[in-house]
Amino acid sequence: MEPVMMFVVVLLPVLAGILVFLLPFRKRVHMLVFLEGMVTLTSVLAICLLVDHPGDKLAIVKFTGDLTLSFRIDGMSMVFGGMAAFLWPLATLYAFEYMKHEQREKSFFLFYTITYGVTLGIAFAEDMMTMYFFYELLTLVTVPLVMHTLSREAILASRRYLYYSLGGAAFGFLGLIFIIVYGSPDFVMGGSLNLAKIGGRTNLLLLIYVLAFLGFGVKAALCPFNSWLPAAGVAPTPVTALLHAVAVVKAGAFAIIRLTYYCFGVEFLRGTWAQGVVMTIALLTILYGSGRAVKETHFKRRLAYSTISNLSYILFGVTIMTPLGLAGALTHMLCHAVMKICSFFCAGAVICKSGRTFIYELDGIGRKMPMVMGIFTVASLALMGTPGLCGFVSKWYLAQAAAESGNPLAFAGVGVLLVSALLTAVYMLTVAVRAWFPPVGFCEDSLAGIKDPGICMLLPIVLFAGVMVLLGLYSMPLTDFLQRVSRGMY
Amino acid sequence: MDFVCNFPFFSILLTLFSGTVCSMLPRRAARWVNTGVILAAGGMSLALLIWLLQGGDCFVYMMGHFPAPWGNEIRAGILEAAMALFFCIIMLLSMWGGRKKLDEEVEESKHNLYYVLVNLLLSSLLALVYTNDLFTAYVFVEINTIAACGLIMIRQIGRTLAAAVRYMIMSLVGSGLLLIGLCMLYDLTGHLLMSNIRQSVEVIMAEGTYAIPLVITVALMVVGLAIKSALFPFHAWLPDAYGYSTISSAAILSSLASKGYIFLLIKIIYRVIGFEVFNNTHIINVLFVFGLMAMVFGSLSAIKESGIRRMIAFSSVAQVGYIYMGIGLGTKAGMIASVYHIFAHAAGKALLFIAVIGLTDVSGFSRRFIDQTGAGFRNKIAGIGFTVGSLSMVGVPVFAGFVSKILFAQAAVNNSRKLLPTMIVLAVSTILNAIYFMKTVIRIYTPAPDSGYEGVAIGKEKLYALSILLFIVLNIALGMSSQPVVDAISAGLDMFG
Amino acid sequence: MDGTVWMLFSIGFPVLTGLLLLCVPCIRKRGAVVTVTAAGLVVTSLSVFAAVGAGKGTCTLLTLTEDVPVYFHMDGAGRLFASVVTIVWLCGGAFAFSYMKHEREEKRYFGCYLIVYGILNGLDFSGNIVTFYMFYEFMTIMSFPLVLHTRSREAIMAGLKYLFYSFCGAYLVLFGIYFLHRYGTTLAFTPGGVLSPEAVAGREAFLLLMAFLMILGFGVKAGMFPLHGWLPTAHPVAPAPASAVLSGIIVKSGVLGMLRVVYYLFGTAFLRGSWVQYVWLSLSLFTVFMGSMLAYREKVLKKRLAYSTVSQVSYILFGLAVMNQTALTGSMLHVVCHACIKSGLFLFAGAIIVQTGKTRVEELTGIGKEMPVLLWCYTICSLALIGIPPTGGFISKWYLAMGALEGGVLPVFGWLGPAVLLVSALLTAGYLLPVTIRGFFPGNGFDYAHLHKREPAAAMLLPILILTIVSVIAGMFPGELIRFVGSMI
Repeated sequence: MEPVMMFVVVLLPVLAGILVFLLPFRKRVHMLVFLEGMVTLTSVLAICLLVDHPGDKLAIVKFTGDLTLSFRIDGMSMVFGGMAAFLWPLATLYAFEYMKHEQREKSFFLFYTITYGVTLGIAFAEDMMTMYFFYELLTLVTVPLVMHTLSREAILASRRYLYYSLGGAAFGFLGLIFIIVYGSPDFVMGGSLNLAKIGGRTNLLLLIYVLAFLGFGVKAALCPFNSWLPAAGVAPTPVTALLHAVAVVKAGAFAIIRLTYYCFGVEFLRGTWAQGVVMTIALLTILYGSGRAVKETHFKRRLAYSTISNLSYILFGVTIMTPLGLAGALTHMLCHAVMKICSFFCAGAVICKSGRTFIYELDGIGRKMPMVMGIFTVASLALMGTPGLCGFVSKWYLAQAAAESGNPLAFAGVGVLLVSALLTAVYMLTVAVRAWFPPVGFCEDSLAGIKDPGICMLLPIVLFAGVMVLLGLYSMPLTDFLQRVSRGMY
Repeated sequence: MDFVCNFPFFSILLTLFSGTVCSMLPRRAARWVNTGVILAAGGMSLALLIWLLQGGDCFVYMMGHFPAPWGNEIRAGILEAAMALFFCIIMLLSMWGGRKKLDEEVEESKHNLYYVLVNLLLSSLLALVYTNDLFTAYVFVEINTIAACGLIMIRQIGRTLAAAVRYMIMSLVGSGLLLIGLCMLYDLTGHLLMSNIRQSVEVIMAEGTYAIPLVITVALMVVGLAIKSALFPFHAWLPDAYGYSTISSAAILSSLASKGYIFLLIKIIYRVIGFEVFNNTHIINVLFVFGLMAMVFGSLSAIKESGIRRMIAFSSVAQVGYIYMGIGLGTKAGMIASVYHIFAHAAGKALLFIAVIGLTDVSGFSRRFIDQTGAGFRNKIAGIGFTVGSLSMVGVPVFAGFVSKILFAQAAVNNSRKLLPTMIVLAVSTILNAIYFMKTVIRIYTPAPDSGYEGVAIGKEKLYALSILLFIVLNIALGMSSQPVVDAISAGLDMFG
Repeated sequence: MDGTVWMLFSIGFPVLTGLLLLCVPCIRKRGAVVTVTAAGLVVTSLSVFAAVGAGKGTCTLLTLTEDVPVYFHMDGAGRLFASVVTIVWLCGGAFAFSYMKHEREEKRYFGCYLIVYGILNGLDFSGNIVTFYMFYEFMTIMSFPLVLHTRSREAIMAGLKYLFYSFCGAYLVLFGIYFLHRYGTTLAFTPGGVLSPEAVAGREAFLLLMAFLMILGFGVKAGMFPLHGWLPTAHPVAPAPASAVLSGIIVKSGVLGMLRVVYYLFGTAFLRGSWVQYVWLSLSLFTVFMGSMLAYREKVLKKRLAYSTVSQVSYILFGLAVMNQTALTGSMLHVVCHACIKSGLFLFAGAIIVQTGKTRVEELTGIGKEMPVLLWCYTICSLALIGIPPTGGFISKWYLAMGALEGGVLPVFGWLGPAVLLVSALLTAGYLLPVTIRGFFPGNGFDYAHLHKREPAAAMLLPILILTIVSVIAGMFPGELIRFVGSMI
C-alpha cells in the first residue's frame, strides 16, 4: 500500500473522535454505528497496511536538525499495531454498553477514539523522536479518560498519572538525546549506536540506558513507579481494560523494546552491569505486583496489580537480551493483552450489572452470571499459565529464553516467574472460588436481578476467551512469526 | 550602503520620539500610535532580517560623523534583527492581550503614560539589541529600568508599589555593578566601543599583566546583568513584580525586559570579552551552577505557591535558569540553545500571563488556585491558551519548549564534565514543571458547576482571543519548524565572532 | 487392535459427559444424573480396559507450540495406573450413588467426578512431561470442587489449601521442565532418561537441583514431608467417596509423576548415589514414621486415615527412591494395594457416617454387632495395610524391604529403611485395629440393648467388599502382577 496510508490510518481515528464529539446524533445507536464503523475501518486499513506494508518511510514534519516525524512499518510495528487493531473495535463495542450508565459519553468517546490513533502512531513510528512524540501525546489524551468521572479520587489519580508519565518521559528523553548524539534516532534492529563515537564512555551510556529504561518503565509500571496504575483504576472499565492493561502500559514496554533492541542494541548491553540492574528491577516488580494483588480486596485494583506484575514478565523477557527473549516478551505481550482485557471486561461486567466492586461482595455471583464468571475463571487459569491456554505458551517461551541464555540471574528469573504464578493462582482463583462456591448459608435472593450482560459486552468477552483457548492449543503460526520478528526479519 | 541599513537607527529613534509624542495625544490616539510604532519597528526589523538572510553581511552604522574609537555606533547582524523582530511581535501581542485589563485596572488619566513607558521600553530594548557601544548600552539599561518600574506601578495598589521599589533597588544595584565594571573596563582598555575593547582585551590576555582585574571586571558586569535578569538567587524582586502588575506589564517584563539584559550579556561575552576568554574564566562555571539551582529552586517555589500568577512568575525564575545553564555550558551549541530558549520562553510565558488573566477574570478575580476550578470551561480560549503554554513549558513535542529542551540536552552531551548534572537537572526540572503546570491544567478543567462564576464567550473579547490565538500559532511554529530559527541563530552567532 | 482410539475415547468421553452434566440445565432429576454418570463410568471403564488390553497406543493430538506436543503413549506404568484408577473409580462411583443422597448439589459432584476420571486417564496415558503436567494441573482444578463439596467454611478453606499446595508443587515441577527441555534431547518419557550428555556436562549440580525440585513438587500431591500439610486437612472434609478416591488415586498421581521424572526423564543412572537420592530417601522414611505417629494420635477416623495415607504413600516413595528393580516392584505393588485398601477404608468411614453419623474412633464401640459385614471388611483391609500375610500389603512390603536390603544405596538406608517400615507397621496396627477391637468387643459395661442391626444397603456394601477382595487377591496370587511390574521398565 501507499506509504501515505500510514498517516491516514493514524489520523482517521482522531478525526472520527472529533466528529463523534461534534455531530449531533439523534439516537444513541447511530453514534454506535458511526463510531464502530470508523474504528473497524481503521482496524481493517491498519491490518491491510501491516500485511502489505510499504517498505519506505514517510516523513511528515521536520522538527529540527535530522529529527523528523516519520512513519515506517517493521516487525515490531506489526506486532504492536496488530494488537491494537484487533482489540480496539471489540473494546469500543464493549464500551458502548458499559457507558450507558456513565455520563458525558461523547467526551469519553472523543478521547477514547483519539487514543487509538495515537497508539497506532506509536506502533508506526519510524524513529525514536516520532515515538517519543506519540508517547507524550498518549499521556495527554488519556488523562481526560482517567478523570472522566470527575470525582475527587479521579482527579487525584489523573494528576498522579500525569506527573508520573511526564516525569518518566523526561528520563526517556535523556535516552533519546544520547541516541541522537551517539547514533541515529532511526530504529535499526541490533542497535544504531556508533561504537567508534562512544570511545571510553561505555559506562556513561549504560547509565543513560538504565535511566531511560526506568523512564519508559514508568508507563510499564516498574516497581518504584507504579502507584499511578492502581490509582488510575477509577476510570471507567473500558479505559482500565484497554488502556491500562494494554495500550498505554504496553506502549511503555514497547518503548523499552525499541530502546533496548533497536537503539542501544543488545550486543552492546548484554552481560553488562546495566543488564543486571534492569533485570533485577523487572524481577522485583513481578514479585511486588503479585504480592500486592494478593493483599488487595478491590476487584479492579487487584487486576491492576496483576497487570503490574505481568508487564514485568514482558520486561524480564526483554532484559534477557537475546532474540529468543524478545520473542518470549512479544508472545507474552500479545497473550497478556488478551487475558487481561478479558478479565477486566469480566470485572467491568460484574461492576456494571451488580455494582459490586470489592471481592468479598462477590459471593455466589457465578450462579447469576455464569457466562461472565465462567470466562473469568478461564482467564484466571490462563494468567496462571495452565497448559492449554495461552498464558502457558508465553511463559514457556520466556522460560526457554531464560534457560537458553545461560545467565544465572535469568535462571533465578524463571523461579520468580513461578513464584508469581503461584501468587497469581492465589489472587485470581480466590475470586473465582468465591463466585462459584459461596459458603453454606448463602442466600441467593441477595443477588436478585443480576444477570449476564447483553450481546455488546458478551461478544468481546467470548471472543477473547476463544482466542485464549485457540492460542493455548495451537500457537505455532503466531510464535513462528514472532520469532522471525525478533530476529529482525521484517 | 543600502537603505535598509538605516532601519536599526530609525526604529530606535522612532520608538524613542513616539514616546514623547504619546504623552500629548489623547488616549485613543496614543494607543494607535503605540500599535503603529511597534508595527513599524517590527516591519523594519523584518525587512532588515530578510536583507541579511539574503546575503547581506552584518554592518556597523556610524552615528554622526565621528569614526571609531570616538563616535557612537550601531551594529546589526542576523541575530540582532531577529531578536528585534521577535521583541516587537511579543510586545504587540502582549499589548493586545492585556488591553481590556489595562482599561479596567489603570486610571484613565495614566493611559497615556503607560504608552509612553511601553514605547520607551521598546526603544531601550532595541537599543540594547543594536548598540555597539557599552556606554550607550548602560544608558538604555537605565531607561529600561525606569520604564519597567513605571510599568509595574502604573496599577496603583500597595503591592505593586512595594514591588516597584524592590525592583528599583535590585535593578539599581545591578546597574551599579554594571557601571563599575564598565568603568574598570574603560580603565583597562581605554575604549567604550565593543569591537575596540575586544582587540585590547586580546592584547591584555596575551600579555597577562591585567588578567585578574579583567576577570573581576567581567564578574562585576555579569553579576550586574544577572541581578537584573533575575537569576537565582537574585530573584526576590520578581514574583511580586510579575504577579501584581497589570497583565501587559507582566507579560512584557517577564518575556522581554529580562531577556534584553540576557541578550546584552551574550553580546558582552561574544563581542567585548571574547567567547574563548570568557570560557577560560571560572565565571562560566558559576553561571552554570546558578542556572541549575534556579531550574530546581524556581520550580520548587512555584510548586509551593498558592496563587496562580505568582506561580507563573516563579516559573520564570526556573526558565531564566535554563538560559544561564545553556550559557554556562560554554559551547556554541549551548549558546544556540540559550538564545532559542529566549524565544521559546518569551512566546510561552507571555502566552501564559495573558491566558491567566482570562482565567482569573472568570473566577471572581481571585488568584487562588482553588478558585480556578473549572475556569477552562468558563473562558475557553484562555483555557486552551494556558494548556498550550503549559505544555510548551513542560517540553511536550510540537511546542516550542520541547525544541529548546532538545537543544539544551544535545549541547550538554558534547560537554563531558557538565553532562550528567545537566541531564539530571533537566529531567528533574521537567518533572517539577509537569507537577505545577499540569496540576493547574487539571484544576482549570475540573468542572465546578456550583462555583457561581459567569463564563465568557470567545466572541466578546475578539482582540484578546486573537492575541492568544497568535501566541499559540507562534508556539507551535517555533516547535514544529525550528530549523530555520536555529540556523539563523547559528549564523547570527557566527557574525558576532 | 491398536488401543489409540480407545485411549483417546477414555479421556474424552468422561470429560464430555461430565461437562454435559455440569452445563446442561435440563438434567435436573436425580435419576437422570445418576443414569448419565453410571453410563459414563461404565462406558469409560470398558474403553480403558479395551485400551489397556490392546497394550499399545501412540498419538500426537496437538502441538501447543514448537517442540511441545500433546502426546499420548501407552506403556506399562500407564496401563497399571489406569487399571487401578478404573477399579477404584468404579467402586467409588457406585458407593457415591447411595452416599450422596444426603448431600446437596449431586450434579456438580458427579460432573466433576466424571471429568476427573477422564483427566486421570489422560494423565496415565501421557507420553511426555508437558502433557502430563497439563493433565496434572487440570486434575488439581477439577478435583478441587470435590474437596469443598459441602461448602462449609472449613471445607472451603481446606479446598483452597489443597489448591495452593498443589499449584506450588506443580510450579516446582514446571521449573524443572523448563530446564529439562534445555538440557534434554526430548520431553517424551523414555526409559533410562532423556538427558543429553553434551548439554549436561558441567551443569550436573544444577540439574540435580532441578531433579530434586521436581521430586519435591510431585511430593506435594504424594503427601511427602515437608509439603504434606494439605493432605490431612483436605481429605477428611470431602464427602467420603471423594476422600476415598483422593486418598486412593489422586495422591498416586504424584507417585506416577515421580516415577516418570526419575525413571523416564532424568534416569536412575544420573541420580543414583547423588545427594538427591539420599535426601529423597530420608524424607520418605521420615514421612513414613511421622505419618504413622500422627495417625496414632488422631481421634477422628477420617483424619486418622488421612494421616495413614501420608505414611503409606511414602512407603511407595521409599521404594522408588531406592532405585532398584526389587524395590520398584514393591512400590508398584503397594500402589495397587494401597489404592484399594485406603479407598475401602474411607468408604467404610463413609458408610459409618451415613448409618450412624459417628466420626470419632471412641464412638464406634460395638458397631461390629450392628454391622458385622462392614466391620469385617474393615478388619481385613486393616490387616492388609499392616502387612499380614496373605494380603497384598505383605507382598508389597516384603519386596520393599528386600529391595532396601539388596543394597546399592548407602548401607545406613539398608537397615534403617526396613526398620522404619517395621516400626510403622506396628504403629499401623496400633491405629487401625482398635476400631475392630472396640467394634467387636465393646467391653464389660457395654449396654447391648440399644444395638440394632443396621448393615448398610448392598449398593454401599458391595464396592467396599470388592475393594477388600481385590486387596486380598493381590496378595494371594501376586505372580502375574509381579511379572508385569518386572517387565514394566
